[in-house]
Formats: sequence, structure tokens, C-alpha cells
Amino acid sequence: METKTRIKDLLVKLLKVKPEELKDDLNLSDSIGVDSTEMVETLIALEKEFGTKLSPKEITKFSTINDIDKVIQSKIAK
Amino acid sequence: MNKIAITGIGVVTPSGIGKRQFWANIKAGRSFIKEITRFDASKYPAHIAGQIDDLEKYSNLSERLLKKIDAFSHMALVAAELALEDAKIDIKKEDLNLVGIFLGNAIGGWLYAETELRDLYIEGREGVSPYMASAWFPAAPQGQVSIYYGIKGFSKTVVADRASSLMAIGYARTILSKNKLNMILGGGMEAPVTPYALLCCNTYGALSKNNAHPESAYRPFDKKSDGCVIAEGAGIVVMEGLQRVKDRAVPAFAYISGYGTTCDGFDRINPAPGGEQLARAIKMALSDAGIKPEEIDYISLDGLAVDVWDKAEIAAIKSVFGSHSKNIPVSCPKSMFGNLLGASGAVDLIITVLAMEHGLIPPTLNLDEPLDGLNYIRGEAKPYKINKALIISRGRGGINSVLVVEKPQ
Repeated sequence: METKTRIKDLLVKLLKVKPEELKDDLNLSDSIGVDSTEMVETLIALEKEFGTKLSPKEITKFSTINDIDKVIQSKIAK
Repeated sequence: MNKIAITGIGVVTPSGIGKRQFWANIKAGRSFIKEITRFDASKYPAHIAGQIDDLEKYSNLSERLLKKIDAFSHMALVAAELALEDAKIDIKKEDLNLVGIFLGNAIGGWLYAETELRDLYIEGREGVSPYMASAWFPAAPQGQVSIYYGIKGFSKTVVADRASSLMAIGYARTILSKNKLNMILGGGMEAPVTPYALLCCNTYGALSKNNAHPESAYRPFDKKSDGCVIAEGAGIVVMEGLQRVKDRAVPAFAYISGYGTTCDGFDRINPAPGGEQLARAIKMALSDAGIKPEEIDYISLDGLAVDVWDKAEIAAIKSVFGSHSKNIPVSCPKSMFGNLLGASGAVDLIITVLAMEHGLIPPTLNLDEPLDGLNYIRGEAKPYKINKALIISRGRGGINSVLVVEKPQ
């Protein structure tokens, strides 16, 4: 499954939002009102899903799904 | 101090959610105390409770919010919504800087907390939900209600054991009397039917161990009482100044006209056996309301169903009301659904307001051999006109909280 689809599936499951609410190019705060605590939870879940370490500076509530995808892709490539 | 009106009632208890269902069960004298089914509590010395199993049916909250909050915040949110609906208040039209929330709670949100603590010890710190920090603590429901409605006025959570919610309401009345706010959501919530909270309540030693007969276990003021039964739920009322109620052209269900509070300063757990400080709190409340003891038509009792507590309460009432204490009808309706601990006083207030409205005193259950001294209404509800009533709520170590309410004429 492509990385972006896995990220979206994770967000839907974790944040209990509908798939159609997620917009690839809008930041998570603006599109679905993600707050800083939800972002901590998302960060931990992404680390588990992709088996990588992420810093809170790399992914914030102002990241878009496209941004997260890029960060994850670069981590996996290493 | 000014009288403050109660214009909306939101109640979430084992006896019913919403005042209609709740009152139907209360006036019928039905017991809702049962064996705990939420988890295996069979090894606890006391494993019966008043449990709520259908809260979701009455809740519009999203799954996204529910995963971040403990059950006691959920109950407070449902009770707040019911209270606002009952008061015919569209919160969006209010000046939210002038709306406050005053809630009482004794033990915090333990279902959330203990689940996360278990995960901490099993999975390490990364196993703990980041919502833990904002979910478990006693002021969490105040925060969640304020966020849900955008309420921004002066607010407060009172933690004073079982006296918490009546104390919060008394405090809210003071704030409204000073015209600092337009309206307040006042009350309390408690969710102690969880493994750890139940354990703490058991070690406290005030719980009935009559597990074989849950419906007759909680018997306040009975000579064979062996303790109370815990329960979960919330009670929240809308409180407003009289002029605003007039301007809104809505009915006031009752006026809060007096409040008194004292501490026994006697023991870590038990009250002073003579009830002197409770008596002083009753006198303070009566004096605040500007009424004489003989004007009280009904007393809602705290009734922990522990000998020293019940006898101290009787002693306090006798010392204030003298020979008249044999005439005033008293009851402890929480014997039907259990003791909501920090939320018990708010629910007692709600029952008293409904009793006033319907001219019917709800009974104390299981009061087969009453302790001497008071005019107990027991077994069945009794038709009785109540114009002025007193509500007593007490906390561990002797925290005394007393409210006077009056029927609008």
C-alpha cells in the first residue's frame, strides 16, 4: 500500500474522522482541527506504523498530509 | 444575599437520565442498586453500585471527543445539555464571557487514569495516551463543558469530598448575587464505578457489604445500616438572577436563598459525633435566607448510613430545630440509586426542587428500624406542600454544606 494511503488510514482510525474530511494539501489544524495533543498521538502512531523515529519538529499540526508523506518517505529511504 | 433562581435541570443517574424519567422512578421509590457488571468486582468486599449503562443513548458527542475524556466528563456534558434545554437557553446567543461553570467532584476520572497507568507499567511511557493529562483530574469536566460551549466566564471546580457539588452551587450563588455573571451551570459529577476507585471506596470503610441484597443494602438512618453504596452520575442546574429570569419570561423552578458551610476540624475520616459544626452550618444557611427554623417544610438528608455520621446529622438537626425536628418531614432518596459522592449534593438539590414542584416527598428506602429523633418519610412518597427546604451534604472528616431552597410564589 502506498505511504500516503497508510497515513490517511491511520488518521481516520486514530482521530475518528471520515476519509473525505482529509485533504492532502491542507494542514491538519485547518482541515480537521487537529490540536497539539492529537498531534502527539499521531506522531507516536506514525512511528509505530512505519518503524521510524520522528521528531515533533518534523511533523506538527500545521503539516499537510503531503508534508507528512514526504518526511516518512525520506525516513524509509534511509 | 440575593435569591438566585434555578431554571433548568440536567440529571444523569442510575435512576434515570433527564428529569422526567428520573422523577418517575424517584417518586415510585424504585431501587436501582445492583451487582457491578462493568468489570469483575466479585472479590471486593463491597461489589454493588448504582451503575449507568445507557449513557450513549442520550449523548450526541463524537467518538473523537469521547476517546479523550473520562466517563465523568461525559456525564457532565450530557447533564449540562439537558439543563440548558430545560432552561430554554440557546447558549450561542449568550454573552459567553458572562457564563460560568461551577462543578464539584471528589475523586477524578479514574476509569481513564487507571487504564493509562496500567499501560504505563506494561508498555512503558509510550503506551500512555497523551489525553491522560487532561482527562483524569477533577476539573476536567469543567474544562470540557467550557470548550464544548465556548463558555469563558469565571468558573471553578470544588473538591470537598461528598460535599463538593453542594458547595459549588453555594459558591455559584454568591458569584451570581454579586452580579459578576449572567448565568452559571452549577452542580457536580462522579464516576467511581471503576476497579481502583471502588477499591479506594472499600478501604475507606463506609460501604455496605450486603452484596447478596443490593436493593436493601443502602439503609440510611436504619439501626441495621452497614454503610452506603456508591453510584455514578451527574447533576447540573442552570442558575440565574431573578431579573434575568423575568426578562426571559421563563419559569423559575426554585430559588436558592441561603447557604452555610463549616468544617468539623475533628478527625481525618469521621465527623464530630455531636454535629455541632453541622448545626452551625444549618444556622448560617437559615440566617442567610432570613428564615426561622420552623419555616422549613422538608429536609433532604446526607445519610451516609454509617452510625456515627447518621447520629451526628440527627444531633445537628435536633439542636437547631428543637422539638420541631419531630414534625419536619425528612428523607434520603439517594438510598434508591446510591451515593454519587462529590455529585450527591447537586442530585439531592434536584430531587428537592422536583419534590417542591410536584408537592410530593420522595421516600428513604430500607428504613425499617429508624434511629430515633426525626420524622422520616420512608417506603412510599408522601404528598406534602413544600415551600422551603433544607439540603444537607457532608464530606469526609466533617465538611458541612447546607443549602436553603424556596418555592417561587
